[in-house]
Amino acid sequence: MNESLVVFVILATLAASYFWIYPKYAGNDVKKMAWLDFALGFIPLGTSAVLFWESDPTFRLIFFDTNWFFFTLITLTLLELPLFFWYLKARGLGKAYWALMGFGSSSSEGSAWATASVESVEKQLNDTQWDGLRTRGAKIFLLIATNTFLFTGTGFLIIVGDNAWAALTLIYILLLLVFWFLLRQSVRLVADAPAEALDERLIRIRDRSYVIAYRWLSMLGLLLATALMFFAVYTDFQPESDGFSYNIPLTWPQVQAIFWLIFAYTAMLPSMAVIGQELSKKGTK
Amino acid sequence: MSRNSEEPVFNQIEQIRTSQGLSRQELADLVGVHYQTIGYLEREEYSPSLVLALKIASELNTSVEKLFWLKEKSK
Repeated sequence: MNESLVVFVILATLAASYFWIYPKYAGNDVKKMAWLDFALGFIPLGTSAVLFWESDPTFRLIFFDTNWFFFTLITLTLLELPLFFWYLKARGLGKAYWALMGFGSSSSEGSAWATASVESVEKQLNDTQWDGLRTRGAKIFLLIATNTFLFTGTGFLIIVGDNAWAALTLIYILLLLVFWFLLRQSVRLVADAPAEALDERLIRIRDRSYVIAYRWLSMLGLLLATALMFFAVYTDFQPESDGFSYNIPLTWPQVQAIFWLIFAYTAMLPSMAVIGQELSKKGTK
Repeated sequence: MSRNSEEPVFNQIEQIRTSQGLSRQELADLVGVHYQTIGYLEREEYSPSLVLALKIASELNTSVEKLFWLKEKSK
């Protein structure tokens, strides 16, 4: 019964996606399609989370049992693949899609990693609608607010425990995406732009931002690895330790906290670094 | 030997551009950069590549040596 319900939600989402949303909003733009696909995947996953998070029933997936998350994810993947290949073939998008994913030829070096299209960047470079986000004060506020939000949210998910409050994870993820959006608007998508959308000054800023972002990201990685090392050493000194194996009990919200913290900084640090470069020069906008 | 990429390059782009009746946007379109980049160059907040310097000099019908210099002088 539960399996049928999940399959129904997935089929409804896929039907709406491939027969209405993608043709209307993505068309032949594979990058837009990839982002829509990522976003729409949250509908069946979110529905399953709301319905089955608390009760956590067992789901039968052909030959083995699993939980709601993996059942939804695997079933979604299996049901979507035929539709996905049909859509690519019907519109002749196969080559462009694989180029986007980093396989085969692409239009410029590194364009597979760019998460903004040439058109959207060119539009952003001349945009005045979001100028309120591009003042020095707004950028400082955005930097502080984003980092405060990320650390507060991570702390909350670590201490909340596996209960009904953990459903706030979905709001945390949503707000995280909002902050990411605001950061990208603030720097006119420069950090995520392909080279052909930028001139030499903007390319220099973009490239420099990745050096800075990598340094901060490596610092974060080193902190997490050091914490793990301290945990191992601390465990070794406990009387019941065997000195070889370590158990780290993690709740589902704690796994979410770690995943989304790494995701957020991986995605946002380049834009934060662009803001940092701009703030280091006085009077820039 | 250290290399400071932020070392300013002084120029008289603004004077020559305005004397020729060109807007920043028009010059930017001619040399293939964003109009803000022309502003950064004119305020001496950005040092151009050799290619861009040559393109700008060519569009303004002058030489790179007359358009750009390294040590500040009274303009």
